[in-house]
Amino acid sequence: MVASSVSRRGFLKASAVSVAAMGVTNRMYAAGSDTIRVGLIGCGGQGTRDLISCVKSSPGVEIVAMGDLFEDRLKESLDKLRQEVPDALKVPADKRFVGFDAYKKALATDVQAVLLVAPPHWRAQHFQAAVEAGKHVFMEKPGGVDPKGIRSMIQTADLAKQKGLSVVAGTQRRHSKKYQETIKRIHDGQIGEIVSGQAYWNGGDMLGYWKWWDKESRSDMEWQCRSWPWFTWTSGDHIVEQHVHNLDVINWALQGHPEQCMGMGGRAVRNLGNIYDHFAVEFEYAGGVRIASMCRQINGSTDRIAERVVGTKGVVDVDRGVIMGEKPFKYEGPDPDHYVQEMADLIQSIRDGVPINEGKNVAESTMNAIMGRMSAYTGRALKWDWAMNASKLDLTPPKYDWIDLPVEPVATPGKTQLI
Amino acid sequence: MRQAAAGAVSLAAVSTFNPRARAAGSDTIRVGLIGCGGRGTHDAGKCLQSSPGVELVAMGDMFQDRLDRCRRSLTEQIPDKVKVTDGTCFVGWDAHKDVLGCDVDLVILTQPPHFRPAHLKAAIEAGKHVFMEKPVAVDPVGVRSIIASSELADKRGLTIVAGTQMRRISHLVEAARRVHEGAIGEILGGQCVRFGGAMRDWGPKQRQPGWSDMEWQLRRWLFLTWLSGDFIVEMHVHDLDIVNWLLDAHPVQCMGMGGRQQRTEPGYGDSFDHFAVEYEYPNGLRIDYRGTQMDGTSEPHHQRLVGTQGAIYSDFAGVVIEGQNPAQFGRDQNDPCLKQHADQITAIRRDQRLNEGRRIAESTLTSIMGRMSAYTGRALKWDWVMNASKLDLTPPSYELGDLPMPPVAIPGKTQLV
Repeated sequence: MVASSVSRRGFLKASAVSVAAMGVTNRMYAAGSDTIRVGLIGCGGQGTRDLISCVKSSPGVEIVAMGDLFEDRLKESLDKLRQEVPDALKVPADKRFVGFDAYKKALATDVQAVLLVAPPHWRAQHFQAAVEAGKHVFMEKPGGVDPKGIRSMIQTADLAKQKGLSVVAGTQRRHSKKYQETIKRIHDGQIGEIVSGQAYWNGGDMLGYWKWWDKESRSDMEWQCRSWPWFTWTSGDHIVEQHVHNLDVINWALQGHPEQCMGMGGRAVRNLGNIYDHFAVEFEYAGGVRIASMCRQINGSTDRIAERVVGTKGVVDVDRGVIMGEKPFKYEGPDPDHYVQEMADLIQSIRDGVPINEGKNVAESTMNAIMGRMSAYTGRALKWDWAMNASKLDLTPPKYDWIDLPVEPVATPGKTQLI
Repeated sequence: MRQAAAGAVSLAAVSTFNPRARAAGSDTIRVGLIGCGGRGTHDAGKCLQSSPGVELVAMGDMFQDRLDRCRRSLTEQIPDKVKVTDGTCFVGWDAHKDVLGCDVDLVILTQPPHFRPAHLKAAIEAGKHVFMEKPVAVDPVGVRSIIASSELADKRGLTIVAGTQMRRISHLVEAARRVHEGAIGEILGGQCVRFGGAMRDWGPKQRQPGWSDMEWQLRRWLFLTWLSGDFIVEMHVHDLDIVNWLLDAHPVQCMGMGGRQQRTEPGYGDSFDHFAVEYEYPNGLRIDYRGTQMDGTSEPHHQRLVGTQGAIYSDFAGVVIEGQNPAQFGRDQNDPCLKQHADQITAIRRDQRLNEGRRIAESTLTSIMGRMSAYTGRALKWDWVMNASKLDLTPPSYELGDLPMPPVAIPGKTQLV
C-alpha cells in the first residue's frame, strides 16, 4: 500500500506490473524470498530516520544488521526502531556492531543493502567497502569531506556500475516529483539558454539538531566523533554537509559541474568546533554561467533555502516548482515525502534488477561544496580540474583510535594554505 | 598633456562665461578644502590643475598636523595656485563653517563620510558649489539629508559633483552607453566582485599618548563604521555605483552576509573584512556582490552583466562584450579625476546644471543597505531603508573625549534600526 502510493515509478513500470507487483507481494509474504535485508551503518538521528523511511517505503524490508562507533548511539537507535518499525526489526545481539570496524562486520552479514550514514568523513571508505562486498547502497549526503574522498567515491561508483549494484544518495530532491518535472522542463529548453542562477541555504544555527557534546573526560577523538557536525574533518563544514543539497540541484539543472569558483566565509556568531557559520561562493560553469551560492547557519537572520535558475526565456524557482516566462509552469501534482521516495526508488530498483547509480552525481555535488569551502578557507580562486585531480587535501586523522587529536585552528583566508 | 587637454576645455569655457556663476566679477574660481587628508590633498590638487583660473584660498581640517601636511604638499606641487594664508586655515570641529565663511565659490568636502551630510547642508546653505568625495553618508539619516541638500542645490543653481570618477572613465562611459542601448538585451543576472587587500598600511598604527578615544577613532576613521560606513560603503560604493549606472536603477531589496575573519586586530575598529550581498533590482534581477579587504587572497575585481543577447565584463582596465554585439575596448589616457573637476569648473563658469547629489546618495544607500543586511543578518527592502530606517550613527557629542570602541556587529543579534 505504501509502496504503490509512494513509488509512482514502480507503478508506471508495471503495465504488466499490477499483476507483477501483486506477485511480488504474494511471494514475499508466502516465501519470504523477496525480503530485502538491510543493514544500517551509522546509527545517529539521520541514520535512524533513513532506516525508518526505508522500511516504510516498501513492503518486505527487514533490518538485519547495525553498526555504529558508539554503543549508546546504537542502543538509542534500536529503541527508536522498536517503537517505529518493530515488525521489521530483526537484529539479534550478534548482529549489532560497535567500534571503528563496525561497518566491516555489518558488511560481512547477509545484508543485501546498506544505509551508509556515518559522518561524512567515513563515507568514501564505507562506500568502497560496501560495493566491494557486493551490497546495494543508500548513502547520505555529502559524499566526503576532501578531494581524496571524492576521487575514491567516483571510482567506487564505477565499480558499482560494473557490478550492477544500486547506489542511491540522500540528495532527496532528485526523488521529488516536483523537482523532476520542473528540471525536465529546463532540460527541454523551456527557459532557453541558462545564463545565471542562485542556490541558498540560509538558516538557523542547527544547535537544536546537531548535538554538541562537551569534552569532559572523553578522548579528543571520541569527543570530535560525537560532535562531528562541528569539525571540518568529520563533516566537511556546513557548506558541504548541508548546502550540498542546493548545489546538487544546480548541477542537476545545468547538467554539469562548475569549472571554477571563488568564495568567502567566516564565523560571525557561532564558536563551536572549527567550522564557519557563513559562506558565499560564486561557481562558474561551462560557457561562463555564474551561479551565486550563499549558506549561513545563524539564528535570527533571514532564512532562505532555495534554488533558482535564470534562462534567456524564463526564470525558474526550482524549489517551488514554478517557471515564469515564455512557457509558465507550476507543478501542482503530488509530491510524496522525498525521504520515503528515495528509499522506495532504491528498493524498487533492487527488486526490478534495474540499478540506479547516483554515486557520481553526489560525488560531484559534494566536490562543488568542498571546493567552495577550500576557496573560502584559503581566499583563493580554484579550478575544478585542479581540485579534482591535483589537490592533496586529505583530512584523515593519524589513526582511527581514541587518540589525542588537537582541534585544527579555524581557517583564516589568506593564511590557511591551499593544499 | 593633461594640462593641454584641460586648457582646451577652459578656453571654450571662458568664451561662454556667465558672470552670474562667478565670484566678484573675476573669472577666478576660489576653492576651499574641507578635509585635508590624503584624498582631500589629492582632490584639491586635481581641482587646481583641472582648469586655469582655479585657486585654493581656504583650508579646514580637524587636526593641525593634517592641515599642515596638506598645505605643504599642495604648495610644493602647485605653488602658484595655493593662495591660502594662516588666516584662512582652520582646525577643529567648526573648521568647515570657518572655510564656508571665507570668500570661496566652491568647496571640496573630503572629511570622513560621517561628516558629509552636515557639511553638504552647510555648504549649500552658504551658497557654495560642492565637490564631495564618495561615499556621502554612513546611514540612512545621512542619505536623506544629502538628497534634501541636493534638491536645495538645484533650487539655488549650485553644482554638485561626487567623487565617483569611474563615471568619467571613457571605456566605462562607452560600456554604459552600449548597455543602455541594448547591446546585451534584457539584463538577467550579474556580478560585482572586488577582492582586495586589508589596507594595513593605512593611517597611524599606534595610538599616541594624549589622544582621546575620539581622536584615535577619527585618525583611524577608515575602520570605524560610524565614520566610514565600513568598506562596502567607503570603497566598494565605486563598484556598486557602476552597477546602478549600468542598470540605470537602484536595488529594491537585498540580503547580505559578512564578518571579519582575517583583519581582527583591535586597531581595525568594528569593520568587517568580507561582505556578500545579493541585490535584487526591478523585475527580479539579482546581482551578486562580493567584496573583501583581506591580504593574501586572489583578487578578482570586476563587474559583469549577462542578458538575453550577450554579456559584458568591465573592470578599470577595459570592457569586453560577448554575444550578438561583440566589442572590446581598453582604457585611454584621460584622467577621470581631472575630468570630474574640469567638468564642474566648466559648469560653474557656464552656469550649467550639474548635480550628482541624488545619484551618489542612492549608490551610497545601496552600499549602506548591504552593510545593514550583513550586520543584522536580515533581508531589507530599499523603501524601508530609504524611508523608515532610523539608523543614525552620530556619536553622543563631537568632543575629543571618551568614546568606547563600538562592538563588532553580530548577525542575528545586532538590531535592525
